[in-house]
Amino acid sequence: MNEVRIPIHGSGQSLYVAEEKVYPREVSGRFANLRTLSVWVLLGIFYVFPWIDWNDRQAVLFDLPARKFFIFGLVFWPQDFIFLTWLLIIAALSLFFFTAVAGRLWCGYACPQTVWTETFLWMERLTEGDRNARLKLDRGPWDANKLLRKGAKQILWVSFALWTGFTFVGFFSPIRQLAGDVLAWSAGPWETFWIFFYGFATYGNAGFLREQVCKYMCPYARFQGAMFDHDTLVITYDKERGEPRGARKRGTDPRAQGLGDCIDCTWCVQVCPTGIDIRQGLQIECIACAACIDACDEIMDKMGSPRGLIRYTTQHALEHQPTRVMRPRVLIYAGLLSALVVGFVVALALRSPVSLDVLRDRNTLYRLTDDGQVDNVYTLRILNKTEKEQRFRIEARGGSVLTLLPQREYVVGSGAVYSLPLRVRRAAYEPLGPETIEITARSVDDPKVHATTDARFLAPTR
Amino acid sequence: MNQPPTETAASHELGHRARSIAAILWSAFLAAALATMLCFAFIDPEALRSGDPPEWWSSRLHVYAVGFFFFWLIGLVSAALCWQLSRGTR
Repeated sequence: MNEVRIPIHGSGQSLYVAEEKVYPREVSGRFANLRTLSVWVLLGIFYVFPWIDWNDRQAVLFDLPARKFFIFGLVFWPQDFIFLTWLLIIAALSLFFFTAVAGRLWCGYACPQTVWTETFLWMERLTEGDRNARLKLDRGPWDANKLLRKGAKQILWVSFALWTGFTFVGFFSPIRQLAGDVLAWSAGPWETFWIFFYGFATYGNAGFLREQVCKYMCPYARFQGAMFDHDTLVITYDKERGEPRGARKRGTDPRAQGLGDCIDCTWCVQVCPTGIDIRQGLQIECIACAACIDACDEIMDKMGSPRGLIRYTTQHALEHQPTRVMRPRVLIYAGLLSALVVGFVVALALRSPVSLDVLRDRNTLYRLTDDGQVDNVYTLRILNKTEKEQRFRIEARGGSVLTLLPQREYVVGSGAVYSLPLRVRRAAYEPLGPETIEITARSVDDPKVHATTDARFLAPTR
Repeated sequence: MNQPPTETAASHELGHRARSIAAILWSAFLAAALATMLCFAFIDPEALRSGDPPEWWSSRLHVYAVGFFFFWLIGLVSAALCWQLSRGTR
């Protein structure tokens, strides 16, 4: 099915520490701009969202101790867990869909590992200089210059990592209060632990492990190949056009010298964040960041050759066969995906703004009164999922006239749960025996806010 | 790549083992994260509190944390066994 050649280097040969350090060269171009944009948007969302307020509370807050998730106007409860599951399924299917169509788009532009590594690389360039300067610095002795540059990099990295850890915790613990606590050096043990934990993870993953996370830790990297076929867009070196590679004078005709378009400048290797040579074919290490495309395009421009010696293309196109974008797997993924997204939006829109639990009193089945009535006692739990305080009135419907005791309104705050005892009364023998009744909690302020639950009403059978 | 040719069988074995241990820890970690999320989405520790709960049951966050490490332990046992069994008999 998948005949793409995937050479794997050094499998099982080396320890993590024995990995050769990769010094990616800075690259500019279309795809580098796209990734920079993606970094700004995604990290912008991450670092800014916790600070946005909505209806006098943090707009995005995952309040684990209170078991409530706030996302802008929506409040999610454990009862809404289905939505999270649903969302995860949508996310997984999107990953399948985009992988089938255009390969590892996720890895190259959106994965947190890529995004944070990019940011850490910027800081490295700022302090240690470009690729050649970094190589020289690492080879050189520990003099004042090296100490200063490395020290400055570490200060930047550590501060940024701690800020990241703090922001992460700010999604789970109100961030303004957290900021005050941190500044006053009085954050709780859990907050402190997670700030350092996530900060350390960021520092380690984006500063040191980098491409090794993709190569050894990422489950997606291992199975994404299964979603590829010959019509998937992949980043490929056009061997036919490039070979035989070799140096040549600018302005000379390579064909006359028996050469292809590749001048063997190795820029595509130098810019690669995972340190591979794309000219050896599609490899499992390739995160499809397209840095080699930008680098090669720049060289081709200088050489006066057309761009695209390395480009997004498909296996079929390379073999001079037509590429089919609309193929069964793409259509199936797209169909499932749109059905799930539409279902999700509809279900979210129709989500009941209030939930009602009715629990029977466990101690007594029923109680007969002196005047020929029968009482059942319940505990009602009203959960107000709206953003406003609501006054609820209780109604009950059954086969006969039901009286509720007490008759009053219950004020339930936004996001609050209210437990109340309820006594339902009716004639003891008419109708005879137990029945199922409907209990409704309806808001006086907004009649659209209501919930109904069935309950069993017990009565003597003779 | 520029591997030093002096790498001995022993250091090779160590590298392989270190990598296996890392893979076991990491896969169990991912599974534990998933299990914790699923478990506590449906079970509220406060609702299970009855009688005289142990000290670590003092707050939801503590129960979540203990639950996570418990799931991690179970995941470790499973991953380590899987590694052991799939290594063959030699």
